[in-house]
Amino acid sequence: MKRRIIISLIAGLTMAFGVSALAQDYPTKPITLQVPYPAGGSTDVGARIVAAIAEKDLGKPIVVVNKAGAGGQVGWTELARQKPDGYYLGYINLPHLPAAILDPERKATFKGEDIVPIISQALDPTTISVRPDSPWATLKDLIEDAKKRPGQIAAGIVGYLQDDEIGYLQMAEAAGFQMRLVYFDGAAPAITALLGKHVDVLFCTVADNFAQWKAGRMRMLTIMDKERSKFYPDLPTTAELGFPTVISASTRGIAGPKGIPEPIMKKLQDLFKKTMMTKDHMDKLEGAAHPVKIMVGEEFVKYYWDSFKVAQKWVDYVRKK
Amino acid sequence: MDALQYWILGFSVATLPLNLLYAFIGCVLGTLIGVLPGLGPAAGTAILIPITFGLDPLGGIIMLAAIYYGAMYGGTITSVLVNVPGEAASVITCLDGYQMAKQGRGGPALGIAAIGSFIGGTFATLALMVVSLPLATFALRFGPPEVFALLVVGLSLVTGLSGRSMLAALIMTFFGLMLSMIGMDPVRGAPRFTFGVPPLYDGVGFIPVVMGLFGVGEILLSMEKPVLEVIKTKFTDLLPKRKEWGVSAGAIGRGTVIGFFLGLIPGIGAIIPTFLAYVVEKKVSKHPEKFGTGIIEGVASPETANNSYANAAMVPLLSLGIPGSPTLAVLMGAFIIHGLTPGPFLFKERPDVVWGLIASLYVGNVMLLILNLPLVGLWAKLLEIRYQFLYPGILLFCILGAYSMNQSVFDVGVMIGFGVLGYIFRKLDWPLAPTILALILGPMMERALRTSLEMSAGDITILFTRPISAVLLAVAAIVLISPAIRLLGKRAGKD
Repeated sequence: MKRRIIISLIAGLTMAFGVSALAQDYPTKPITLQVPYPAGGSTDVGARIVAAIAEKDLGKPIVVVNKAGAGGQVGWTELARQKPDGYYLGYINLPHLPAAILDPERKATFKGEDIVPIISQALDPTTISVRPDSPWATLKDLIEDAKKRPGQIAAGIVGYLQDDEIGYLQMAEAAGFQMRLVYFDGAAPAITALLGKHVDVLFCTVADNFAQWKAGRMRMLTIMDKERSKFYPDLPTTAELGFPTVISASTRGIAGPKGIPEPIMKKLQDLFKKTMMTKDHMDKLEGAAHPVKIMVGEEFVKYYWDSFKVAQKWVDYVRKK
Repeated sequence: MDALQYWILGFSVATLPLNLLYAFIGCVLGTLIGVLPGLGPAAGTAILIPITFGLDPLGGIIMLAAIYYGAMYGGTITSVLVNVPGEAASVITCLDGYQMAKQGRGGPALGIAAIGSFIGGTFATLALMVVSLPLATFALRFGPPEVFALLVVGLSLVTGLSGRSMLAALIMTFFGLMLSMIGMDPVRGAPRFTFGVPPLYDGVGFIPVVMGLFGVGEILLSMEKPVLEVIKTKFTDLLPKRKEWGVSAGAIGRGTVIGFFLGLIPGIGAIIPTFLAYVVEKKVSKHPEKFGTGIIEGVASPETANNSYANAAMVPLLSLGIPGSPTLAVLMGAFIIHGLTPGPFLFKERPDVVWGLIASLYVGNVMLLILNLPLVGLWAKLLEIRYQFLYPGILLFCILGAYSMNQSVFDVGVMIGFGVLGYIFRKLDWPLAPTILALILGPMMERALRTSLEMSAGDITILFTRPISAVLLAVAAIVLISPAIRLLGKRAGKD
């Protein structure tokens, strides 16, 4: 008896989900919002905050699923091959995504055109930090020492050819030094290694190290941006320190597979824009030290393609070496 | 405020009726998540974060913490009853737990697991109050080389786990390590050994493999046998026998200590403490040959270690703001969403939250015990279902679990394939546990080794010149060589 009930329930659900939705009454069923990184990281936290607020407005659940693996590539591969009906969206991270596509070694099965950016949520600049007991009080100290001992100072990098490494490469090229790069699988192990004295310098974003800095366990040297961050109002930017070309950030936003019908796309842009402008969203993101940056539609699409140019340069640079 | 005042503050917050209710809901949900395979504690906690949005920060976090350790216990239930671990930390419990259930002693197995979990969790919570900060700071000295060495110790101990044939155990270990190589290169992201099959880019999933090897393999094996008598469980059989209490007490004590210290080290994961506790128990036992045949120490020690670990792992999170495992990373995300930043500042800024949470860990452990002891009888009743009805149910359960992980039919295929392999390995009497452990630890080992080599610019001696890592590797070498020496000694004695 019980089994019969279960079977009929399953059959009912399948039918309910199988009915194809028309644009005007979109959405008629829950929307999946995929995160290509493990639960608990900055991208995941941002996605869960936006989903919880947007679904109230939408009237249908937004289900956050994690498809972590290979620095986001597993999730984006999955996102690119979904039906463009607006029921499967995912987070993209720039310049991580173009780096995965442009590096031939990674054999990506999707192209930049296969994914269409919808809206950005945060633009999280790369920073350089050290331990509070470190001999380097300023960026200048670190650069001078690194020039004296090429390849000796161990620098923690959060992920291969992500914003952290691209920031390092820009800095290294502009200042003419070389460090010993140690790659980690996300920010948590990289921060642990810095605090445990296994690496001496850390390249990571504001959202990654804000908590440790606030707790007095890190000394910040610079932020790779043109303007100062409101999270670190006393921290000089790379531009101020004489490296205006060193600009790097991890930009996170929502995207869909190519071919989402225009009315649905419009609906999604409006929905997420409205959600992200709410005080609730702003407060929650600020609490998590995520620098909010909302770019909708064309503006985000342009930013997306610009990030390909940046990534191409550094992918080539690394491959040449 | 001194320690006692913090204590009182913590308990006064944690025992507020509403917070008790949140802890209770968390325990129930967590147990359910643990019971369902494919939905591990990390995924389960992440899915349930939004339901805590409406709650006040402490209430939400109490509930999530309760889900976390509830899941640690819930995974045991399926390990014992149907030989399918609900989550990674319960793999080792299958070895003796399921054998006990087959002998009609599922009740005592679940009972001792609940009691051991309670004691381990309680002790770890008390220790957390006293020693958290200095210990957590010391544990930071475990960098990539030390983690690699510790993982090598874990694997070498497990090759001695099955006991009968070192060769078979080594083969199975390397089989697991080879499986763990499939998928994306963990540093550079280039696909390896995937033969162009996209689902393999993410590697061979642990859940389908473990459910195949243990669950499906068991079903295939049982089909050979004539229909078994239905086991009748009397209520008096639900608690361990009098003489078992003594051995269990020792096992619980050792499991608690092992779980606690490993919980302090970030990046170890919940599975190593359970394997280590089991192996240590076997080493100190007067009858090591009986392990794997359904003896109570084989359940008590890993189950204790896993809850002790779960509570101790709060130490690096609360005192340093470092999440030691994926589930704790989710929990940290939840803290952040609720506007709280884990770390030493939290102790100063929000002592009510920190000590309230610590006290609620204690309350939650009591709740889990009260919740689970009476249910043991109910769970044990499941075993009275005739096998021809029970087995299709288990198979369905496995298929659902394998599918729901990634909504992937490919994973179901993987599970069935490994079910057949599990059957063959069991026929050959080759141990399954080393394969599972190697599959889980392989990527962690590769990561740790490669990061170590990046730290030393390719110089392998970094593993031997750092004191902690050198000692650990020496231990691993002794573990691997000692059976050979013993064998040589025996032969020399005969001559």
